Amino acid sequence: MRSTMTLLRREFGAYFLSPIGYVALAIFLAVTGYLFSRTLVQLTATGPLGIEYPMRQMLGLGDLTEIEGVIQFLLFWMVFLIIPPLLTMRLIAEEQSSGTLEVLLTAPLRDWQIVLSKFLACFGFYVVLWLPTLFYLPVLLDLDWKTWQVGIDPWPVAASYLGVLSAGAMFLALGLFISSLVRSQIVAALITLFLSLIFVVGGVWRADLDSGSLLGKVLSYITVPLHFERNFSRGIVDTRQIVFYLSATLLWLFLTVRSLESRRWR
Amino acid sequence: MIHVDKLTKYYGDYAAVRDVSFDVPAGKIVGFLGPNGAGKSTTMRVLTGYLTATSGKATIAGLDVFWDSVEVRRRIGYMAENCPLYKEMRVNEYLKFRAGLKGVYGRLRRQRIDFVLERCWLNDVRRQLIGTLSKGYRQRVGLADALLASPPVLILDEPTSGLDPTQIRSSRELIRELGQEHTILLSTHILSEVEMTCDSAIIINRGRVVAADSLENLARRAGEKESLIAVFDHAIDPDLVLDLPGCDRVISEQVAVGTRLRFPSPDVQTLAPRLATLAGEKGWGLRELRPERPTLEDLFVEITEQE
Ligand SMILES: Nc1ncnc2c1ncn2[C@@H]1O[C@H](COP(=O)(O)OP(=O)(O)OP(=O)(O)O)[C@@H](O)[C@H]1O
Ligand SMILES: [Mg+2]
Repeated sequence: MRSTMTLLRREFGAYFLSPIGYVALAIFLAVTGYLFSRTLVQLTATGPLGIEYPMRQMLGLGDLTEIEGVIQFLLFWMVFLIIPPLLTMRLIAEEQSSGTLEVLLTAPLRDWQIVLSKFLACFGFYVVLWLPTLFYLPVLLDLDWKTWQVGIDPWPVAASYLGVLSAGAMFLALGLFISSLVRSQIVAALITLFLSLIFVVGGVWRADLDSGSLLGKVLSYITVPLHFERNFSRGIVDTRQIVFYLSATLLWLFLTVRSLESRRWR
Repeated sequence: MIHVDKLTKYYGDYAAVRDVSFDVPAGKIVGFLGPNGAGKSTTMRVLTGYLTATSGKATIAGLDVFWDSVEVRRRIGYMAENCPLYKEMRVNEYLKFRAGLKGVYGRLRRQRIDFVLERCWLNDVRRQLIGTLSKGYRQRVGLADALLASPPVLILDEPTSGLDPTQIRSSRELIRELGQEHTILLSTHILSEVEMTCDSAIIINRGRVVAADSLENLARRAGEKESLIAVFDHAIDPDLVLDLPGCDRVISEQVAVGTRLRFPSPDVQTLAPRLATLAGEKGWGLRELRPERPTLEDLFVEITEQE
């Protein structure tokens, strides 16, 4: 277990030694900062412009009938889509192209320990990306500094964070798996991006789809923004969705272990 | 210590290693030789668990390299070909990380790191980024990594490639010293290195073992085909020489000083004195007359070209 920790620490530390980590951090902070500033404007507006759930605004799920709302939606979900491939593309692909994978795989560690460390490292960095958004919470929750009472229902915020973390885990595990299949980081990132797209636009791209049909059901089952729009951002945690994210994560991680194993047979 | 039995490895349908069997006894330094693409690295990768053999069996310290892979890897210090390293880490950071992976922690870890830094002449670059090290220094970092957990078996793939002559010399000494505590399998293209450091050698060619013996036996085998060299100041008539008793073949070539004759597999006892007399009679100006023993290198070339 200690060697798993050693590897985890190195992989996590590597984000701070490479420009990729800072690029991801910069993109992420810029976009969440922009969304927060828009949220602030709406919160301080008077009259019918005021909003009920500021967290929806933060997730780009504000008023989608207006052009600004659509832009915010696209911005947030594009970033949500791009961040995981940025974090995972190098994890295994880089080691393969530079040859260090040979040194890593001949160390006395089991394959699942390697995969777990790498996954936890990128998940850890993903959490780090979200940490600065905690500063927005007092505003989003309308916190009263004297009594520490929140003025707005806190569940949408808590559920949203839960959703963001578990859906993020799924995309990161997918990226890790793809990274184990190819040698080139760019190719790994592109394939991950493309596959992630299915889970982001799946049920959104055709509004006219009959939600009662089988395809409609499947798509709404796998489309992440729909989950946020209907449940998490309203403070509802639907176990079906959490189960979906977690089982998909486990599946990708399992496939990554198998893919590492299979390299030895080539 | 290392026992390989009928090991075969296919890449797709190309057999890189075919039916390779050999033994490396505990405490010995064994050289692993072969031309480019012979399958040396492939064999080593199977031994270290990086690749799985298509068929056959290999054990290290009695443990199967496939079934007990992790336990086997604990007992091996492996230095991969070309020494791939994380370029963005510093030398001491890297060694600390590798020690952790190998289960060496705390005070022991600090001791071992200091030891290998000292041993591999890395003290003056311990805080340097690995990416900025020269090839030779990177090679030393790889060796230091292999030594970290003081494993009983060292598997070194071309440990001295890319080193300068003085470093090659000190590395050889180091390997000899390490041979007192470790069992070493090392691959190389420099044959004199094998003669200097190894107890025995395994020569493979196109995935098959073509010779495996102690260095004395190999040297004897090579030395059996002694030849005689004679150098003359003037141009000579090789036909006259061919008539001499004890001579069945002669290769004549022009060199800067005159003519050089080479007698492969002659009867030196009878030929040498007759040749000297003949040269005196004809006034050829004999400059040099000596028997030549083929080196391991000649044997290597001969064996690998036969196939
Ligand atoms: N991953 C691979 N896929 C396909 N063929 C490979 C692969 N790795 C090696 N080979 C082939 O297997 C053969 C043996 O390669 P190997 O690297 O073991 O040779 P080597 O003895 O180490 O040579 P060198 O002295 O050049 O290092 C070569 O013909 C090589 O082209
Ligand atoms: Mg090689």
